Amino acid sequence: MLTVGMLASAELRARLSGAGLVLRTGPFTNLIRSDVPHLIDTVALMYADYPVEPDGGFADFHLDYRRARGPRRWFRPQVHFAYDGSTPFQPLPLAQAYPMLEWTMNWCVSHRAHGYLIIHAAVLEKHGRGIILPAPPGSGKSTLTAALLGHGWRLLSDEMTLVRPADAMLVPVPRPVSLKNASIDVIRAFCPDAILSRPVEETTKGTIAHVKAPRDSILRAAEPARAACVVFPRYEAGAGLALTPLPKARAFMELADNCFNYQVLGAHGFAALGQLIDTSDAYTFRYSNLPEAMDLFERLALGAA
Amino acid sequence: MWRLTPGQALACREWDGEAVLYNDLSGSTHLLDGAALDLLHALRDEPADAARLAIRLADRFDADGADLAGAIGEMLAALAGLDLIEPC
Repeated sequence: MLTVGMLASAELRARLSGAGLVLRTGPFTNLIRSDVPHLIDTVALMYADYPVEPDGGFADFHLDYRRARGPRRWFRPQVHFAYDGSTPFQPLPLAQAYPMLEWTMNWCVSHRAHGYLIIHAAVLEKHGRGIILPAPPGSGKSTLTAALLGHGWRLLSDEMTLVRPADAMLVPVPRPVSLKNASIDVIRAFCPDAILSRPVEETTKGTIAHVKAPRDSILRAAEPARAACVVFPRYEAGAGLALTPLPKARAFMELADNCFNYQVLGAHGFAALGQLIDTSDAYTFRYSNLPEAMDLFERLALGAA
Repeated sequence: MWRLTPGQALACREWDGEAVLYNDLSGSTHLLDGAALDLLHALRDEPADAARLAIRLADRFDADGADLAGAIGEMLAALAGLDLIEPC
């Protein structure tokens, strides 16, 4: 299997600036083109372990990131994004090209992949037990996810939980984990071996850096997981650890609210979510101390919480 | 008299006395208590009014009489507001 890391730097650059790099992320193929040098370097780092599909085949998503032309090439330079030839978003400062790639790759899945029920949630697996972490921004979901990756958990996704409607299995689409602001240094200290992209400042979300997905998670991207728990996390400075059972019907309603396409799928989405909740315990979870949280999640992975 | 609104399949899941129900007409999902679900299932079997439902469900709700019929009447009005049932 050819991976991005096997391509020489010149070859990667030639593909991205030419016919495109066909990158596999879980069940999706992404045809990526770009002429932005630092974006190419970051893709080389963050996607080194990802499969490269042959040129000329089918691609789910066609993504194009280009430096602005004219005065914007030199004055406050920008990057433009095009999807299948259309331009759904305004350009961003050139320095934000890599966060833009991650955001737009998420957008493609959440707006196009309606063969799955898509929950806005992180999802990880250990000892065969899938744990879904739905949460709004600021809840500490991504920090918790990045910390768990340093403790033997497999990443299925940091942003989008894909539920297969036929059997409610969780389909991996492991991609880099997005960290914001103070979380970047928290994870640098807590997981010294984690590979982080260069922080990008002054984005709409503040300073952003991404954590490379573990190689094992990428190699196992074709292995779905069965949901065992739904945990709604909330970081609260100074708070003690608290795991509180949540009635299943209420967990169902909360999860439905966190879906990108629940309404699109209609009765099929209802059935898939019902099946998922059937096999899962549901909790709210409050934490401030990462080592304590790691211990509790280990118990959840063993079914002993 | 009330009946289930035509087109409602009553796709639902019930856990620990609470239920979620898919509304086939609006596409919404409702969080209901088990009693509301019992009323819907009773009306799927046959149309009825509050007094008749109170007799049929007295054992299930562990109550009877005018108070039960009154409570059922309020629940029926709420279910009608969601287009799950309609007068007939």
